[in-house]
Amino acid sequence: MKIVVPIKQVPETSNVKMNPETGTMVREGVESIINPLDLYAIETAIRLKEKFGGQVIVISMGPDKALEAIKEAIAMGCDDGILLSDRKFAGSDTWATSYVIANGIKQIGDFDLVICGERATDGDTAQVGPGIASFLDLPLSTFTSEILSLNDGKIKVRRLVEGGYEEIELELPAALTVVKEISDPRLPTLRGKLKAKKMEIPVWGPQNINADEENLGLKGSPTRVVKIFTPKVTREGEKIIVKDEKTLNEAVDKIMDYLIKKEFI
Amino acid sequence: MGEVWTLAEFRHGELSSVSYELLNRGKNLSQKLDTALASVILGYDIKKEDIDELIARGADKVYVVDDKNLENFLVESYANVLIALLDEYKPDIFIAAATTTGRTLMPYVAVRKKTGLTADCTVLDIEEGTGNLLQTRPAIGGNILATIKTPNTRPQMATVRPHSMKPAMPDKNRNGEVIYKKYDESLFKTRSKYLRFIKDESQQVTVQDAKVIVAGGKGVGKEENFAIIDELAELLGGAVGASRDVVDRGWKTYPHQIGLSGKTVSPALYIAAGISGAVQHIAGMQTSENIIAINKDSDAQIFHLANLGIVGDLNEVLPLLIERIKEYKAKEASANV
Amino acid sequence: MYNKVTPEIVDELIEIVGNKNVIYNNFDAMEAYSHDEVAEKSYAHMPDVVVKPSSAEEISKIMKLANKYKIPVTPRGAGSGLSGGAVPVEGGIVLSVEKMNKILEIDKDNLMVVVEPGVVTNEINNVIKDDGLFYAGYPMSVETCYVGGNVAENAGGGRAVKYGVTGRYIYGLEVVTPTGEILHLGGKRMKDVTGYDLIHLMVGSEGTLGIFTKIYIKLMPLPQSKVDLLILFKDIDTAIKIVPKIMTFGRIIPTSIEFMDDLSFKTSCKYLNEKIPFEEAGAMLLIELDGNSKAELEEQYEVIGNLCMENGAIEVYIADNATTSERIWKIRRNIAEAWKQYSPDQSLEDVVVPISEIPKFMEKVRKISEKYDVPIPCYGHAGDGNIHATPVKNPKFTMEEWLDILHHKLLPELYKEVINLGGTISGEHGIGHKRREFMSMALEPAQIEVMKAIKRALDPNYILNPGKVI
Repeated sequence: MKIVVPIKQVPETSNVKMNPETGTMVREGVESIINPLDLYAIETAIRLKEKFGGQVIVISMGPDKALEAIKEAIAMGCDDGILLSDRKFAGSDTWATSYVIANGIKQIGDFDLVICGERATDGDTAQVGPGIASFLDLPLSTFTSEILSLNDGKIKVRRLVEGGYEEIELELPAALTVVKEISDPRLPTLRGKLKAKKMEIPVWGPQNINADEENLGLKGSPTRVVKIFTPKVTREGEKIIVKDEKTLNEAVDKIMDYLIKKEFI
Repeated sequence: MGEVWTLAEFRHGELSSVSYELLNRGKNLSQKLDTALASVILGYDIKKEDIDELIARGADKVYVVDDKNLENFLVESYANVLIALLDEYKPDIFIAAATTTGRTLMPYVAVRKKTGLTADCTVLDIEEGTGNLLQTRPAIGGNILATIKTPNTRPQMATVRPHSMKPAMPDKNRNGEVIYKKYDESLFKTRSKYLRFIKDESQQVTVQDAKVIVAGGKGVGKEENFAIIDELAELLGGAVGASRDVVDRGWKTYPHQIGLSGKTVSPALYIAAGISGAVQHIAGMQTSENIIAINKDSDAQIFHLANLGIVGDLNEVLPLLIERIKEYKAKEASANV
Repeated sequence: MYNKVTPEIVDELIEIVGNKNVIYNNFDAMEAYSHDEVAEKSYAHMPDVVVKPSSAEEISKIMKLANKYKIPVTPRGAGSGLSGGAVPVEGGIVLSVEKMNKILEIDKDNLMVVVEPGVVTNEINNVIKDDGLFYAGYPMSVETCYVGGNVAENAGGGRAVKYGVTGRYIYGLEVVTPTGEILHLGGKRMKDVTGYDLIHLMVGSEGTLGIFTKIYIKLMPLPQSKVDLLILFKDIDTAIKIVPKIMTFGRIIPTSIEFMDDLSFKTSCKYLNEKIPFEEAGAMLLIELDGNSKAELEEQYEVIGNLCMENGAIEVYIADNATTSERIWKIRRNIAEAWKQYSPDQSLEDVVVPISEIPKFMEKVRKISEKYDVPIPCYGHAGDGNIHATPVKNPKFTMEEWLDILHHKLLPELYKEVINLGGTISGEHGIGHKRREFMSMALEPAQIEVMKAIKRALDPNYILNPGKVI
């Protein structure tokens, strides 16, 4: 069983403060981490490996710094890692990114499963997972919340959809994007860290994945960013402090007035 | 000039209301481009009145593919059919809702059409002169807005955040053209099989469909206390949301999680109870129309976003609020008799 | 023995600090000043009046006034204390330093900051971190507590293993004595043996010998990176035996070595729904390292990690980014909150024993816990032998029963065992009035006599924070 897990390195945001004036994140000195939602893909892959044997390979497109993310994944229990890194990859949109990662996975070859996180917490498009599946022409289950069974070349999964769950069955090789519900990611262990430290992670460029230069980076990206701007989010509405029965009642009156005025009741 | 297409979502034999929101957006684009607005509806046993409804809500044309093989959503077959339609009719713009279906189908199709796709847009407009579609979406957790276009390839594709626009109102007098398409079995061949749908009772109203969301955070204190959140949500006909802390603690399930690693929502009313307003959470709800925050800590970040902020214990405030709402509703009811 | 605060006295106070800085005849507003973070309500007491001076001169006048009328004065910081030290047990005046919250000077040439007592401890680090500096004092309440309170309690906290406690960084104090004299002790001098070391007499005096109005704090270079290790052991013994080895064999001084017994982390992990295989473990260590390069820290955590694995650790987890390190620190930080689900009535204790005695101490705790059928989760700073044994009210007891067991049976026994093991009853929270009655168990009569003599010399009318310590 060979499982490929595409991951992305993203800025760590849990300690980031908001700038109340601009409503933007204060991003100075923010460190880079594995996209939190990719951890569930990694965990899912490792559990499948533990159950059915085989290997888990993480693949990531990004600068050399992304090696940290790959090594962290290996410290968690993945077996190998590949970094897709080249100046030509820079400025890729989701189409070009999917193209590069899909080509990387083709190079790895004879895989059974590609497991992606639901989306990255920075770009937040959720398009690269399905994009990779499309490039590789794989059956796909998005928003996968549980793996029900895996046998004789088929995987049965449950996916989270509006109002409930759908169960579908895919022939292998197949692609999944998984949601948080599917597993609880493990922590990297000392053993894992030592293993990851020793490991040489191959870095592939366009030539290694016989990619068509026309499909890379900005040149290969159908979309263009016209402008980026900052929404003003702060409202600073009225604030009522509850100190006692009286103020408590005032507060609740305020809420009632608001709900009635805006016709929510 | 090619047409403007919207994807009409037909699930479990029902047309979902996001389809009308898309028509509302599509209308203002097709008018600017002076071209036809069309809806594509894929499914099985599609009712005539649903097709008529699409026309009444603004579609000049409706492309219908009604086939047993399309009874349930499977990305492979749906993509094959869409691509056949896109190849034949070459629309200029194709938008779908950023639902689980839209966010699965659209990227799968965009890749094969080698065209641009922009996710979860909140604003769509037409660029003066070029006629290009300007797609604006929140990024980095809503902390910036990016406007994106697809200058050289067609169709220009986008998914649109549900409830970021009102549904188009029906006009029974409108008439439009209905095009029924049949396709060869081979097009429906998939390597996936649909098994069944399981309803999640805790998601009577899903956070993404909800006009009102009552969300609870760590401040709720313990799992049992969530009962008041649930009750208030029900009373307001809304959905129950939860912060990451709450979901991590297992007090609520992931479908309820709002924020960077959960759902991004923009309801008409968001009531944040016991939520401090960590960056991740704010990212998921700051585009809500009205925000009411209840928190013990007067310095809580959430108050920066709130139209109305209550500094106090939600376990005191909410029960009283629920009581008042009930009284109010009872009064209204009796008044209307 | 003390006089009540009369409206006339209040007028004189208003004369000194101004109308808006006096709270009188306002229960709601004063209630906040009647307690600190000690859970038990029985330790709270309302003040007669609250004053908020903004200078040493005003405080001096208040003290002279209080001496004239024999009114007790209780100095107060953020009220985040855990020994009842800021509670006006005799009523009278609560003197809050909340208005004195300015960082007066950041002296990069001498690596010093000069602050007023009402500055929130963490605020110091926020303003100097861009200069690559930090203040190593790190009580767990760092987000809310005031520096003044830290100095008064000689606060310890999470980083003491490597950086020591608050007193180590205090090089100068401006102090108003109980009689209203303003002393200027020390300053920016790195060395100073001119006369008795009054600074460190004041540090940890719990607001009974003087009120600080200016504090000179030594700064350190800010470490560039940190790593956390979460280590699971089958039992407490194995876990504790590692602690000295880390320093002797490992030649490493971690920033902190936190210890959690099974009662603590199991409750916390369940509360947090944490899925690491904690059920197998009987004890956990949480070790934090800081340094200037990731490489340096890598070497160190390998040494410590291997040491642990060779000495019977079940598993060693490594957290070298904010996400994972937050995840493991959450376990440590949520113990109290998790136990509140069981019962909100807890007595957060603060005993210290020689590190090597921690396992023996834990045995004793278990016995006491069984004897009275009171759960006593133990966690805290293993690196300093400072254990927060925390008796939690068994819901089956009424409040009366609980308080009786706690104060007259459980705590005395616990303290006795601690002292027999060569430890003492408080390592960082202080005596205040919560532990006052027990201090004589820990100190010999002659010591207490010396302390009383000092108190008498500085506070002849016994009006500054009466009912505390001695």
